[in-house]
Amino acid sequence: MSAGSNGRAPTAVVTGAAGWLGQNLVRALAPERERVRCLVHGADDAPLLEVVGPSIEVVVGDVRDPATADRLFDGVRAPAVFHAAAVIHPESTVRELFDVNVGGTDLMLDRARRADAARFVHVSSNSPFGTNATPTDRFTEDSPYDPYLEYGRSKLEAEEFVQRAHERGDVETVIVRAPWFYGPYQPARQTQFFAAVRRGRFPLVGDGSQQRSMVFTGNLVDGLLRAEATAAAAGRAYWIADAEPYELRAILAGVRTALEAEGLAVSERRLRLPALAATVAEGVDRVLQGRGRYVQPVHVLGELGHTIACDISRARAELGYEPATGLVEGMRASVRWCLERGEQL
Amino acid sequence: MTTIDTDVLVIGSGAGGAVTAFLLAQGGRDVTVVEEGPWIDPDAMEPFSLEEMVAKYRHRPAAALGSPTIAYAEGRCVGGSTEINSGLYHRLPGYLAEAWRDEFDIDEFGPDALDAYAKRIEAELAVSRLPGAPPPSSALLERGATKLGWRAVEFARVFRYDTAGRGVKQTMTRTLVPRAVDAGATVVPNCRVLRVLRRDGRAIGARCRRTEDGRVEDLDIRADHVFVCGGAIQTPAILHRSGVRGRVGAGLKVHPMIKIAARFPHPVDHGGVPMQVITEFGPNLSIGGSASRRGQVAMALAESSPDFEEALADWEHVSVYYAAIRTEGAGRVIGVPGLRAPVVTYRLTEADLSRLARGLVHLGEALLAAGATELYPSVRGGPVVRRPEGLVDWWSSVTRSRANLMTVHLTSTVRMGQARSRTGTDSFGRVWGVRNLRVNDASLLPDAPGVNPQGAIMALAARNCEQFLSEA
Repeated sequence: MSAGSNGRAPTAVVTGAAGWLGQNLVRALAPERERVRCLVHGADDAPLLEVVGPSIEVVVGDVRDPATADRLFDGVRAPAVFHAAAVIHPESTVRELFDVNVGGTDLMLDRARRADAARFVHVSSNSPFGTNATPTDRFTEDSPYDPYLEYGRSKLEAEEFVQRAHERGDVETVIVRAPWFYGPYQPARQTQFFAAVRRGRFPLVGDGSQQRSMVFTGNLVDGLLRAEATAAAAGRAYWIADAEPYELRAILAGVRTALEAEGLAVSERRLRLPALAATVAEGVDRVLQGRGRYVQPVHVLGELGHTIACDISRARAELGYEPATGLVEGMRASVRWCLERGEQL
Repeated sequence: MTTIDTDVLVIGSGAGGAVTAFLLAQGGRDVTVVEEGPWIDPDAMEPFSLEEMVAKYRHRPAAALGSPTIAYAEGRCVGGSTEINSGLYHRLPGYLAEAWRDEFDIDEFGPDALDAYAKRIEAELAVSRLPGAPPPSSALLERGATKLGWRAVEFARVFRYDTAGRGVKQTMTRTLVPRAVDAGATVVPNCRVLRVLRRDGRAIGARCRRTEDGRVEDLDIRADHVFVCGGAIQTPAILHRSGVRGRVGAGLKVHPMIKIAARFPHPVDHGGVPMQVITEFGPNLSIGGSASRRGQVAMALAESSPDFEEALADWEHVSVYYAAIRTEGAGRVIGVPGLRAPVVTYRLTEADLSRLARGLVHLGEALLAAGATELYPSVRGGPVVRRPEGLVDWWSSVTRSRANLMTVHLTSTVRMGQARSRTGTDSFGRVWGVRNLRVNDASLLPDAPGVNPQGAIMALAARNCEQFLSEA
């Protein structure tokens, strides 16, 4: 292991580097590492990252591709690997979830082993754990797996590969489980979410007392860096989220507050949907996914009726993780990022 | 009509039936074995030859219907599939024994209990490792794995070696079938079971149809106890034809295989089946070698590309390898009265297809690392891959319409266990609802074992025989 005394490897490899989390993570790594090898899927993504700093080295390719994996790890010794590449909303079929989330993880673990990676930090999700039984229930790291549909199954299998690689001594791993993100470099779907809330078109399902953990991307990056640097985290898994889960109605209120604080008028309209609507959507989603089909709005609505909430006590105790940014502050940063890019909210 | 009386009727003579006949005859019971296929001298044919395939395989378009279809092979001869398989031997992985015991509530079942029986079987069959260096087809897999840093092991096989190091596969016709006969069992080949006969809720024998020298004769065999050991396709079909339903036939599991015909710059051996297996991606994905005589090479090449003539002319440089998976999806066997062949269906999930694609890509990596120059995948339209940069295209080639899949491991159609709503028999193979009727073959395994199931089937069959002898 060539990690420095602070536990941070001079070289980092980041997959999914052009993604929502990846963009934030790369910006944190770039100034403090000698080399940050970034995997991006599209050639158009390369220039976006190359401007970040001289330590950035971009590799364009497919995370399922052995030849791309060889280029990604070519000449890299004992890196810290941050595996953030995944598909959460496939374009049309659920097959992609398994090809990328399972196949990509399998391949990256293999190449990390061959490169003698100092550590493999794997970005996972709440979806292997499903939904909480009640609004006050919390997932801990010891909660049983109960995957939510096909994305949950794909992320669960990926976690199993990561755990296996650690247990058999291939590479030292840490699993970081993150819920719903918010923060700069957000994808179009999050911008649409803001716009819908602003226009009063985003539905509050049921009474909105269902709770959701969320994580500000800055908080998550801090958690990932701690997962890399904490020796005792090897082989462990951690929930990384904001300090407490939010009620769904508080999330929508927080977005409205952030929009107004950044000078945007917010509609007085409030769209409400009965809890039944989410239940029906979930049923439809299950049928579609059972046939291999994926329809994003149906999936999102189906999930909205549930509480998905985690307890970050272990990360606090073992990683020294303390989320620095809260909901309104983080949402304001996101809104500002959108406005700076001239996006329509 | 001829009638034969016996104490125990064993239907089928493969890994399950041969163990049952041998142990019960040895235990002093009067045993009659009926086998649908012929009794062929094991020395009469070259192993893995086309001649052998014609004589010993079940012949009809055998494919599990579904999208994609999965072709399957079954032995139809005395000794069943032990006569035609690769002879790789593996005990049931302990974690599966535990998981199955818990999920299906199987009494007196677990790694330790089964291992005791496995040891006896291993001593009986001469399970062994290769005495010398592996043949090139096998060494190539090991070379590829070593270059990539992947775990690979040489699997033990049911082979006996002479002093010159020549190995002979210890099929049932070489071992337990003659030993059962020595212990007093009668074997009736060329005799197909039409249905199990029942009276007052118990099995009393079977109605059979024997073909001898072109003469067809119906035959009733009266028995106090009936063991159905026809394998995971025929056993549920026989039970269905006999009016036994419930969970029988549901839950078929197979190990679908996707293959690559790999061309090397040097000749490769073709007489045997590689014994090296890449275990790096286990337990749900394994990589190994297939029979690669000229016929198998031709079939494998033809599945991939219309332009295979040139490679086929060079067939001595080509060897066939596979990636096999455990599946999330399952199938079903339905025996239809009046129809000779049961209807078999199988459903692969998207996750299963993805796993097959992943297996194909990994297998391709290993073969290129081993020095292969051309890879022909069993995918309609290929593409043929010559360099690592081409492997990524296989992710999108392995689709329901283009993947050519086959399987030789078929299990789980009459699952055992006390969880009656999900099983066909109790913990010892006694069919629910019909006294004196037992199943004792691959059908009982609650799930696919991820490895060659012969060892698991034989140990399980031996366990159930001991239970039978202790009680009946």
